[in-house]
Amino acid sequence: MTQGRNNTIRLHREIAGETRRIKVIRALSRKNWVHSIASLVIDYMQRRGGKPYQIDAIKCFAHDFRSSYLEEKPCIFTSAFVPNELIYGLGGVPFLPEAASGFAASFGLAGESLAACESLWYSPDLCSFHRAGVGASVLELTPTPAAVVVSSHLCDGGKRSLFQISQYHNCPFYILDVPYVHSAQTLDRLARQIEKVAASLEREVPGLSGDHMAEAFANSNAARDYYLNLCNLRTNIPSPWRGSEALNYVVLFLWSWGSPWLTKFYRDLVDHAENIIDTGHYPVENEQLRLGWLNLRPYYSPRLFSYLEEKCQVSIAFEEFSHMYWDRLDASVPYMSLAKKIMANPGWGPLERRLEVIGRIVQDFSIDGVVQFAQWGCRQYNGAASILSDYLKKKGVPFLNLDGDGVDERNSGEAQSLTRLGAFVELLESRKLRKVR
Amino acid sequence: MKNCSYVAGIDVGSSATKGILLLDGKPVFKCMLPTGTDLAATARECMRQLLHGNGLTEKDLSFVVSTGYGRARVEEADRTVTEITCHGRGAKALVPRAGLVIDIGGQDSKVIRLDEDGMVADFVMNDKCAAGTGRFLEVMAERLGVSLLDFGRMWKAAKRPVDISSTCTVFAESEVISLLSGGIAPEPIIRGLCDAVADRLLGMVHRVGIAPNVVMTGGVSKNSGVRLSLEKKLSQRVSVPAASQFAGAYGAAIIAHELAQREMTDST
Repeated sequence: MTQGRNNTIRLHREIAGETRRIKVIRALSRKNWVHSIASLVIDYMQRRGGKPYQIDAIKCFAHDFRSSYLEEKPCIFTSAFVPNELIYGLGGVPFLPEAASGFAASFGLAGESLAACESLWYSPDLCSFHRAGVGASVLELTPTPAAVVVSSHLCDGGKRSLFQISQYHNCPFYILDVPYVHSAQTLDRLARQIEKVAASLEREVPGLSGDHMAEAFANSNAARDYYLNLCNLRTNIPSPWRGSEALNYVVLFLWSWGSPWLTKFYRDLVDHAENIIDTGHYPVENEQLRLGWLNLRPYYSPRLFSYLEEKCQVSIAFEEFSHMYWDRLDASVPYMSLAKKIMANPGWGPLERRLEVIGRIVQDFSIDGVVQFAQWGCRQYNGAASILSDYLKKKGVPFLNLDGDGVDERNSGEAQSLTRLGAFVELLESRKLRKVR
Repeated sequence: MKNCSYVAGIDVGSSATKGILLLDGKPVFKCMLPTGTDLAATARECMRQLLHGNGLTEKDLSFVVSTGYGRARVEEADRTVTEITCHGRGAKALVPRAGLVIDIGGQDSKVIRLDEDGMVADFVMNDKCAAGTGRFLEVMAERLGVSLLDFGRMWKAAKRPVDISSTCTVFAESEVISLLSGGIAPEPIIRGLCDAVADRLLGMVHRVGIAPNVVMTGGVSKNSGVRLSLEKKLSQRVSVPAASQFAGAYGAAIIAHELAQREMTDST
């Protein structure tokens, strides 16, 4: 770490302002003994009968956080849709500031990160997942990145905010310029870009080498097999897994492909779902309706979901972000394989691709109504609301565009959201009742 | 199961709490009081007025449905239903041909499209701020020093509206102050404010799809200035039933009646 970089970071931290709590958390996150105690706590939770898949998920993050905060391995910041098999394959650990914002919100830490970001002149109408990510990074609540890798597809704010983070930390920044048009030539161009980024990372970041690529691909493929099995189990009526929980684990879905822990997580989750179906002890008792959920969720408040699942007996049967969209990876052509994965994302390219996937989710998961969580500042998803509404209307599927914010509590009113969701459920109930009659 | 035919609907809105008593599905009594700060106490008082006004006790009620933003605070309620469903049902009962309901309350506004059976087919609500709601108009009326009830008369007295560029309550208030200090009369300002509210509602109307037979409910329906602006923008008549403020409570009471009937059928 250079003296210049230290001064820049300190200056930004001073502008952003930091509370005593932030100072304590920053210091603790970098202490070996804190991570050792965390491991003991996880073991204790396991012994006390914690659900195996939940323990796997915690272990997955605990393992990566330890490696990155204690700088045991090079930490590479990535944007949400970069295939992290690349990072695990190079022997690094990925860190997704956008996804970490969701974590921060769940633990009540987002407020300080958002304030820090705004004090650096970021507009509050930008997506809060990015603002909180930048703020947390400036306050050094995140680990220190050795490099930043972003992709240009889907989310525009992600690459810009991560570029800023690379500037604060004075580390290399790489952008994968994802072509809009899908063809053999564009795929080849993207594959060559990924290869160049990998080569540059190996050169620029000490400790990275492509020796682990085959292992990361094998982990990813094994996890994918279990995951497809899980998706199949989730078509069951009633739903064997709470959608509110699935929306939490979207973070893992974005983050951990290539990690051995993800394979264990999905394997144990499949066992859990099978057991639920066998015993008939479904998480949403007497399930009345099934929702499809688009985009993310508010991470600071569980109330919307307890209202849906416990009071209204409504399941979120499947989420758009949980859709498996890529084929098995081929370790013999790693960069082409990752290029194909990126290009297969249905959120990229013509909107018809996304609509087709949503239509398939509606059909495969017997969805009664679709809710799009309209994340404040998200141009990518909110811009499509009208076309999406028309598309679903033609299919006879009710649609609710639910305004809210996944991280910044100031941008939504819980009571208003509950009223909208409640009215939507009433609308679906009345349709169902009339169909029965 | 109580063997009687009285049911009640209570609508706890942000400004006013409304109650309606039905006997065999027909309204027999209604009351309205300011919501104040203690929602549960206001709902209790509303219920007391409904019952005592008719010489009844709680035992005489077979079902109570509550709605409105304070619906969860009504201790006597057997069921809570959202104001969207209740306003839809109430408006349909008040104006049987209703196809589209525009409800503007104290803190929110909603547009509800009804299907041929009078059930909610689609709806949209305002975003989180007070723009285009009753509270917005209250603040402006206060600033202008006029009564909300005079808005209609003053709207008609204005030859043309002044352009109000913001429906943000704070920004619009400072805009009104600037206009007044610039020597603009209150009438065109009021017409401009009503147009600004109507413009905002128009966007919501187009999101659910315009339909014939528009009905206005909620407290702001009594403000004929907003109705006149809406009629002009929609190029069609907007009905305001006499009991427009009670649409939510009426809808809640109708649902209470249906649920009471269902319980009775199930028990026999």
